[in-house]
Amino acid sequence: MTELTLDNVLLIASAIFCVGVYGILSRQNIIVILMCVELMLNSANMVLVGFGRAAIASSPTPASPNMPQIFVIMILAVAAAEAGVGLAILLAVFRKWRTTNAGELHLLNG
Amino acid sequence: MPESIDAIVFYLSAIVAVVCSAVIVTRKNPVYSAVFMVLFFIAWALNFLILRAPFLAVIQVLVYGGAIMVLYLFVIMLLNLKPEEIKEEVTTQRKVLSAIASVGLFILLAWAIRTSPKVNDAPILSNSFLPDTPAVTEAGSLEAIAMELFEEHGLAFELTSILILIAIIGAIYLTKKGKALSHDGTHTG
Repeated sequence: MTELTLDNVLLIASAIFCVGVYGILSRQNIIVILMCVELMLNSANMVLVGFGRAAIASSPTPASPNMPQIFVIMILAVAAAEAGVGLAILLAVFRKWRTTNAGELHLLNG
Repeated sequence: MPESIDAIVFYLSAIVAVVCSAVIVTRKNPVYSAVFMVLFFIAWALNFLILRAPFLAVIQVLVYGGAIMVLYLFVIMLLNLKPEEIKEEVTTQRKVLSAIASVGLFILLAWAIRTSPKVNDAPILSNSFLPDTPAVTEAGSLEAIAMELFEEHGLAFELTSILILIAIIGAIYLTKKGKALSHDGTHTG
């Protein structure tokens, strides 16, 4: 347990992912739901970096050691765009219906 | 070597991150969630640093802890919600079902991780176990990432700039005054 192993890194990342899933399922505040999406994106980043580190540790001349980190940089750019557009939608919704509660937005209810 | 200091720091900051994420999803007031989100990002950046991704650790604190969380706090300030407006009516049944779903997902993921031969055969990641070749010690440095990003993934990098441009235009259009969608979907004003 006191050595850093790949399965522990992956378990920590999946724990954060599942906390994000719980938040999205149980919360109604749209701001908190967007934060939970950020949590899940971050856990995916940790999985990528952990696997990249394992690839580096397994051979003295890894094929493309920086590939996972470039993936994470791309995810970061997409996450920034997602946060910007998501919060803009939140502001537009709040102006129209004066609420940030996802339970009160029932236009698509059957 | 029985134990490594980097492993202990990694697990400690992972505990901080998990506790912070639990606080984020349970607080009523989104301001507290945002503040604990910053703490979570710092702990996560420390984990990136230990996994030899120093550039990602810096970017994590700058972009997530700086830019994105300031955006969230700015929106919370703009909304100026009263205490009765942030009240949520979540039934206990829904909370229990969500907890069952997320714990079930975690058990599924943990089972997949524990039984995967690829993961179990992976080497120990602590710093003292890494091979000492130039290709390994230079991996993750800013220079190595920049070379690979701009030489091999130039197109993806340029497409990202188009994505960000579209996001900027969309955000400005959505928040423009008098352009809100009316009930029948047509534009007003």
